[in-house]
Amino acid sequence: MATPEIVFANATTSYAEYGGYTALERARAMTPAEATEELMASELRGRGGAFFPTGRKWSFVPSKEQLPKPHYLVVNADESEPGSFKDNEILSRVPHRFIEGCLITAHAVDCAHVFVYIRGEYSGPYEILVNALEEVPKDVLGGVTIVVHRGAGAYICGEETALLESLEGKRGQPRSKPPFPAVSGLYAAPTVVNNVETIATVPPIIAMGGAEYAKLGVPNTRGTRVVSISGNVVNGGNYEIEAGMSMHDIIYGLGGGIPDGRELKAVVPGGSSTVILTKDEVDVGYDFDSLGALHTAMGSAGIVVLDDRCCIVQLGIRFSEFYEHESCGKCTPCREGTRWLTAILRKLEDGRATQADLDLLLDVCDRINGKCLCPLGDSDAIIVASYVAKFRDEFQAHIDEGSCPFGGASSLDHVLAPVAMHTHAPAVPA
Amino acid sequence: MTDLVKVTIDERTVEVPKGTGVVETAAAAGIEIPVFCYEPRLGAPVGACRMCLVEVEGMPKLQAGCTLTATDGMVVHTARTSKLSAEGQNATLEFILVNHPLDCPVCDKGGECPLQDLTFRYGPGNTRMTFPKRTFEKPIPISPLIALDRERCILCYRCTRFSEEVAEDGQLVAVNRGSQSVIATFEDEPYRGAFSGNVTELCPVGALTSTQYRFEARPWEIQNVPTVCGLCPVGCNISATTREGKVKRILSRNHPEVDEGWLCDKGRFAYAHLGARDRITAPLVKAGPRRFEQISWDDALDAAESTLRAGGSSTVTALSGGESVEEAYALARLMREGLGANTAVLPEEVPDRFDAYRAPLSALRDAKTIAVVCDEPVVERAPVVDLWLRSARRKGAAITYGVPEGDVDALVTDQAGPRYGATNVYHLPRTPNGRGVADAWSAAGDGEPVDEKPRVLVISGDEAATDPAVRAIAAEAEFVLGIGMFEDSFRGIADLVLPGVSYLERDGTTVNLEDRLQRQRRAVVAPVPDVTMWISKLAERFDVEVSPHVSVLFDELAAKCFGGIAFSDVGERADLPPRAEEVSDTNPVSDARTTGAGLRLVAYRPLFSGAAVERTPELEFQKPEAEIQLSRDDAKARGIKNGQTVTVSSNGTSVELRARVAKDIHSGVVRIAREHAADLHANVEVKP
Repeated sequence: MATPEIVFANATTSYAEYGGYTALERARAMTPAEATEELMASELRGRGGAFFPTGRKWSFVPSKEQLPKPHYLVVNADESEPGSFKDNEILSRVPHRFIEGCLITAHAVDCAHVFVYIRGEYSGPYEILVNALEEVPKDVLGGVTIVVHRGAGAYICGEETALLESLEGKRGQPRSKPPFPAVSGLYAAPTVVNNVETIATVPPIIAMGGAEYAKLGVPNTRGTRVVSISGNVVNGGNYEIEAGMSMHDIIYGLGGGIPDGRELKAVVPGGSSTVILTKDEVDVGYDFDSLGALHTAMGSAGIVVLDDRCCIVQLGIRFSEFYEHESCGKCTPCREGTRWLTAILRKLEDGRATQADLDLLLDVCDRINGKCLCPLGDSDAIIVASYVAKFRDEFQAHIDEGSCPFGGASSLDHVLAPVAMHTHAPAVPA
Repeated sequence: MTDLVKVTIDERTVEVPKGTGVVETAAAAGIEIPVFCYEPRLGAPVGACRMCLVEVEGMPKLQAGCTLTATDGMVVHTARTSKLSAEGQNATLEFILVNHPLDCPVCDKGGECPLQDLTFRYGPGNTRMTFPKRTFEKPIPISPLIALDRERCILCYRCTRFSEEVAEDGQLVAVNRGSQSVIATFEDEPYRGAFSGNVTELCPVGALTSTQYRFEARPWEIQNVPTVCGLCPVGCNISATTREGKVKRILSRNHPEVDEGWLCDKGRFAYAHLGARDRITAPLVKAGPRRFEQISWDDALDAAESTLRAGGSSTVTALSGGESVEEAYALARLMREGLGANTAVLPEEVPDRFDAYRAPLSALRDAKTIAVVCDEPVVERAPVVDLWLRSARRKGAAITYGVPEGDVDALVTDQAGPRYGATNVYHLPRTPNGRGVADAWSAAGDGEPVDEKPRVLVISGDEAATDPAVRAIAAEAEFVLGIGMFEDSFRGIADLVLPGVSYLERDGTTVNLEDRLQRQRRAVVAPVPDVTMWISKLAERFDVEVSPHVSVLFDELAAKCFGGIAFSDVGERADLPPRAEEVSDTNPVSDARTTGAGLRLVAYRPLFSGAAVERTPELEFQKPEAEIQLSRDDAKARGIKNGQTVTVSSNGTSVELRARVAKDIHSGVVRIAREHAADLHANVEVKP
């Protein structure tokens, strides 16, 4: 792919324009095992962030002979990761491709019930999806019911087990694993939980064949990826890239570089919960292995570009406030630790901190990391620790100068919304 | 033989049955894994508090021991041998304490607080938290019985899990998110339910405390007396906490076969009746239509003697079923041997045909099919049985209310009806010790009642004194001799009252609904002598030798009723006697008792009623609402919706009540709490 094309430029497709769900026909001609086999051959890995091989996840679902319970497919459309907005656009622009993916997956995992758990604030995509569903002829649905359920505004409900709890009508808090959802998920029945982008990638895989799809990309990261570019770039937005493309090209090519003649300072490569990269580290392939070598990840592919006005301590506060605000309150280290981290970071930013506070900050990160029930608290600890590791001088300057070297002025104007500005979408009128 | 798995914990190797949790496995190896949120009685572990973090070889991160199952060859390191685990546990405690107020000196839990204990063992010695702590309004009364301190709460979710998964009332919930999460009742309504008090005992910190116990005692100045509750036929095992000769609270004392460590609010909170305003502390003699006067014991015994002599063999004895076996036996011997008065009004009929099908209550949980053939709601009669039924249902048991279609594994019934082919039968008596009292009465003599109009009535206990049937006999009698605790129970009906004692003030035994003989121990000394003491004195005057000592009385009786077991062998956690031999079924009556076109009214005695509850003001809010329970079918046939106000009428009287469509009731029957049933007859009609 020489010039990556901008996808989703078209307006919303209708069912007729979309062209009849041919991949679905093809999949239904296969046995569920064969369909799963195609996914295995495609080497597709989950696009939600955890990067688990999709075909393998499907294959974990016990057969109905082994476990006589209904199977469920739950699609995670609770996209809430700061920096990520790809699922929004997928649902808005190609709802039928998404629905076709749901139906193929339902066939592959032998299920008749699909639940789409959509972020509550996504009222636009919700309406588009519901309208699109109404267009789908009954015979195409083939007895599969697709229920779209709106979340109530909780980041944690993007964690698969918390999502399932919420879908069951309970408080959205993660479950302890095992058992994994593939065996005991929604209503304690075998459940496949996949991200929107993963599901939307299924039809082309079936259409072109798994082996063909696997020719795209690089080892361990096959195919394409929709990246959301935001922050201090000229052309923010969603782009579909072939995996392995250089981050430098993504930022300067697709993103058009840094505006107003500013310098690049750092990049958050895959949504708020991934380890930050300095400007010297961005010449790296956008794929699992290359980013893994830098101890970071593609995550949910939300690339946040930060220019030289950014105060890293302020960035830490902004993210840490987010995790504090979104912690579900179930496990101790996350509930108490994220709040404490924010407090220490604020003290640093205000110039009231001592050297001991910086050590305390790192120690608290260490005490959260690896001890939580789910990755939410860990994420906060990992990223804050990475900010200190990569921008220690800046933290030190806050202590030495007794104030923020940036004068405390917000340099994060186009970089995510602070927690206080988070609003909830109004309910869709009946 | 179950499969065993071999696990190494801190270099100790143990074999445990497959499926055992790691916390239990460690305990089997003599190693403690500290926990806060973990409580096996609350269903599946949640892994919330992260206190139990352990290192498991082959797993990259620390694991929550409570959510892990032991597998063969697993190698676990706890804080004893793993630096990582020790740090993890230390970190958890540091995080818990970051916002904990550390007000231990004024906290009721201080001194018996798991958070204190574990902090001393595993936690940091000082704090690194320099920011203002999170504060909440406190304490918040979540009911008149329970106070909530949200600052102390460590969010282990034990209380909400109890409410959701054990009592299944769903009233206690967590609201808000993250560090702002708090425990609350749904819509800030009071936590109203038969089992709410259990959350105060489950709470591992001082967040949920009993309003009755608040600031009443410290753990180092109390004694806990192991005894058995005497307020309903379940006979839950309890510890009575006493300080300076007063009962300060009741705690559960887990008997895994009887109560699993759960108590109802009546058993937990009604001890306040011991110090009631109208408590009888000296013999009383009638001094006016509604007035008593205290008299000396000598005068009282003289009066009792002359009365009983005048009454002779026609004297009738009405028993409450709340007496200990020994009290009932002593009284029965006085009446039967001393007077030849063989007529008794026993509290209820207790069919011994079911003795061949007795089983521990815990076996209910393993039943696959259960029939509940009860007129009265199970929870009102024997509350903890309701929890066993819920636990069976969660495990997948099919429970039918009303006559089952085929054979069932277990039958729960308050009737002396058929057995329905049940393997285990649980008969729910109305009174705490109805079985024991009946046994004691029959063991004390075999003379026949005389056919003569009674002149004297002896009423034993407040429950008998307030029973309308007993009161009807009292109205006919020339002289009524009462034995009881409260003046109000006897006012207007008794001519002479001798003081009685509570189950918390006596030694003795009691027989629960399973037929389990259990030992009650004196928690506090009563303000009056033991009942057996003065019965012994009185019996002397009739030339009957009745020992004042319960152990002697028991040994006499045990030879006749309880297989000769010694008093000292009725342990702290009593066993269930083996099943009796089958008694041939004597044509049991079937359940079809519905008559006429109307509905059969059951005016049930609510759990929160009776002498002890009346004298515990904190329990006032738990009293039943003015409602009528009816089956779904009956409601549908009459076009009645749940919650609607309906008119219940019979023979010219009518009452307006709120309708509650209940699952646990069969068609043709409706239930109203006795206090709301007014003058309704047994056959009623309900109209919207």
